Amino acid sequence: MIELAVSAGVMVACLAGTVQFGYTFYIYNELVTAVGNGGRYAAMRTFRGAGSRDIEKGKEAIRNMVVYGDSHPAPNALPQVANLKPEQVQVDWVMDDSGTQPAAVNVTIADYTVDAAFGMFRFTGKPAVEYPFVGRFAPSENEP
Amino acid sequence: MRVRQKGFVLIAMSVAMVVMLAVMGLAFDLGRIYIASNEAQVFTDAAAMAAASKLDGTDAGLDRARQAVAKLPMRWNLGTKSFTGVVVQFSPDKMSWARVTAPDNQVEITFLRAVGGPAVFTVPAHSVAAAKPVRLVE
Repeated sequence: MIELAVSAGVMVACLAGTVQFGYTFYIYNELVTAVGNGGRYAAMRTFRGAGSRDIEKGKEAIRNMVVYGDSHPAPNALPQVANLKPEQVQVDWVMDDSGTQPAAVNVTIADYTVDAAFGMFRFTGKPAVEYPFVGRFAPSENEP
Repeated sequence: MRVRQKGFVLIAMSVAMVVMLAVMGLAFDLGRIYIASNEAQVFTDAAAMAAASKLDGTDAGLDRARQAVAKLPMRWNLGTKSFTGVVVQFSPDKMSWARVTAPDNQVEITFLRAVGGPAVFTVPAHSVAAAKPVRLVE
């Protein structure tokens, strides 16, 4: 009876670890997919830079694409990854040598914690992608 | 007459442990393999776009394309390893498309090797991008 109790404890611990890591890896994989899709969208969309507010609205659309898979989601839209919020996504434009045109875009999960039932895993600054900007550059247009 | 039952837990646990190792391997090792595959695919997608955007029909354009791929900061294995052995290929006219292959992403197997799995599993990825992509208009 004692050996069964000890063995069962080990088995339950292994099972808990399996669930914890399995779920965490599943979520991380979803995050990689989300930032990849958001990065590709950012790379191909029109960069409108009439003012800093337009650039920020563009970043907001990219963050929404990462989180909801939609640049302008419905108010009741659900995130693609559990509990992921737009403010947890960081979007940074990398400007070219002249400093006026975007050359690339970085999309990063700034801070996300996975609640894996038996423990928490925190991802800071990962996953991250960098895509070259190949979209249309419109420095005098406003973001709709 | 009473049948001796000593050692039953030992035998049952031995069998269960092998099964458990296989289950842990499926969750842990396959999970990492899927992540590495996804990370590599996202990298080659971005690298192919970066390379294709530099093509202009000249050898200098090809050099710029290779440099653009080398400059990408993306990593794999849960964001801890750089991509190595990346191969960049171009269309014969040096201006239509670029193909990027990341062939050497070897995931070390932790649990599945204990039940007969391989020690490492390679997850290659490749992508092709056109030099003049269709742009999103919105």
